[in-house]
Amino acid sequence: MKQKSKSLIIIGVLFLVSALMPIILKKYHLSMLTEIMIFALYAVSYNLLLGYAGLLSFGHAVFFGMGAFMTAIALVNIPGLSLWNAILISLVTTIFTSIILGSLLLRHKGSYFALLTLAFNSLFYAVATKWREVTGGDDGLAIMRPELNLGFTSISMTSLTNFYYLTMIVIGAAIIFCWYFTHTAMGKTVLLMRENEERMKFLGYNINISRLILFTFTGTMAGLAGIFYAFHFKFVSIWAISVDMTTAVLLMVFVGGTKVYWGPILGAFVYIILQNYLSDITARWPLFMGLIFVIMVLYVPGGLSGIITSIWQRFFVKKNHNAGKASTAEVVTS
Amino acid sequence: MSDIPVFILHGLAYAGLLFLVSAGLTLIFGMLNVLNFAHATLYMLGAYFSYTVVTQMGGQFWMALILCPLMLFIIGALVEWFLLRRVHAYGHVPELLLTFGLAYIITELVKWHWGNYPLAVKVGPVLESTVQIIGITYPVYRIFIFLCAVFVGIMMALILYKTRLGIILRASVNDKEMANALGVNIPLVFTGVFAFGSALSGFAGVVAGPLLSTYPGMAHDILIDAFVVIVVGGFGSLGGAMIASLIIGELHSFGVLLFPKLSMALIYLLMVVVLLIKPSGLFGEKS
Repeated sequence: MKQKSKSLIIIGVLFLVSALMPIILKKYHLSMLTEIMIFALYAVSYNLLLGYAGLLSFGHAVFFGMGAFMTAIALVNIPGLSLWNAILISLVTTIFTSIILGSLLLRHKGSYFALLTLAFNSLFYAVATKWREVTGGDDGLAIMRPELNLGFTSISMTSLTNFYYLTMIVIGAAIIFCWYFTHTAMGKTVLLMRENEERMKFLGYNINISRLILFTFTGTMAGLAGIFYAFHFKFVSIWAISVDMTTAVLLMVFVGGTKVYWGPILGAFVYIILQNYLSDITARWPLFMGLIFVIMVLYVPGGLSGIITSIWQRFFVKKNHNAGKASTAEVVTS
Repeated sequence: MSDIPVFILHGLAYAGLLFLVSAGLTLIFGMLNVLNFAHATLYMLGAYFSYTVVTQMGGQFWMALILCPLMLFIIGALVEWFLLRRVHAYGHVPELLLTFGLAYIITELVKWHWGNYPLAVKVGPVLESTVQIIGITYPVYRIFIFLCAVFVGIMMALILYKTRLGIILRASVNDKEMANALGVNIPLVFTGVFAFGSALSGFAGVVAGPLLSTYPGMAHDILIDAFVVIVVGGFGSLGGAMIASLIIGELHSFGVLLFPKLSMALIYLLMVVVLLIKPSGLFGEKS
């Protein structure tokens, strides 16, 4: 009970702080914050696969790119399409794609799964590159943000501030929903499946269906992030569906840490800021990315959130109290 | 369709190249259980080393064929010894990520040192000439690639199935703990296999350079095809890699002839079909 009210307070404070941001920040930084929120959802959805289910996917950009491309394609080809319908169309497509891919791929585990998802990511990338008539090929697709129709009134989305608030509400709700998902029976099933698949089978859980539900859920969330990515940049290029996009999310999640829920959010934050500043300074951004990867794997396997948690526990949590609490926390989140 | 023999030969040449890359990949996977994302990057490194040896240092092509795999052997051994071994205990994900990060670093360093444009390597008068085969004039070099692959394939099969070393290798694949308990130095075997796979990959790179030209994207271009080869052939199976290389090489070649726009998708389509019918690949054991 206490845990629950504590989380509600944290969510409330974060909400208030984010709501005040358009007043505090300059336009450039507000745009960056919007980007961070979008990638935070993408990273959180990826961590549900990697951190919670233990599935290393190299094809998460398929869903992200699918969301982004479907939004752009729908807006370009259907004149006067409303914002909600564009989101709806893209989400439905992403859900179908996730179900089909999931039922094909989830029979495999570990490296096999990683490899196959990579191959499928390349397949989708190849299709997006070659199918010029629909996707625009290398040129990409440019779109306009439609108005937000609330029934009684409509709000223009051309101003960044308005779009920021929409992103904050929708993406924020999605991130909270993902968090809620990890606390449902379904979310726990996934966690326990990672720990001991055989036992869960004997207990009567249907492993395949549970995995497929999780895969579809994470795919859909990545798709939602992709939709907002398209709206935010008003442009979708084939980069959105490339393996590089998967690598980006992998790096975010790994830098942030997979052990705690907010790790990937922190990772997205660090990644976007680093990328924005480093790519200004040096054209060798991929070199730094690779170095960060190797250093993190070798020396900081828990990610930044792992460092923060250990510092926190060292200085702020009472020793005797610590032992029991740490172990329960680990079961729930790690 | 008088071109058909030409396309068959083209397919064979590409199949040879694919086999040289995927043989090392599948060996490493079978032994270390590591999916080496840096494998194709080492192949690229082989091609660039050969450029340096032949064009910049004025050496002969056959020198590159011997020297570059040796260098890659050392690099592979160092990578396994100093990096991969340290994270082996943490499971698959860190290992994959490590090779992934390594691929990024090497690619970027290659771009830094050799530039971002295609380079050409001279292979000498004999290999540059053409030859009359079954009524058509065909470049010797492509036949040379195929013969290299056949040679390597036969040598690997002989080593694996006819020598004491082969017995040790197969035993380690089957049951690492047991082999270790019987006195096989498993960590050394791991390093050796990784280094040998890297050398093979470097050899493939040297051979590929003159055919496909040497450019920073060459790693990515062959990586996916090599992955498809080991999926279709079955993870860790050398014979599977051989057959799958042939199928994909020919598919690649005829795809360009018959469906130019779909040629890339054809290979993935084959992979999906194989996965649906036999998820462990054509020659793979049950996963």
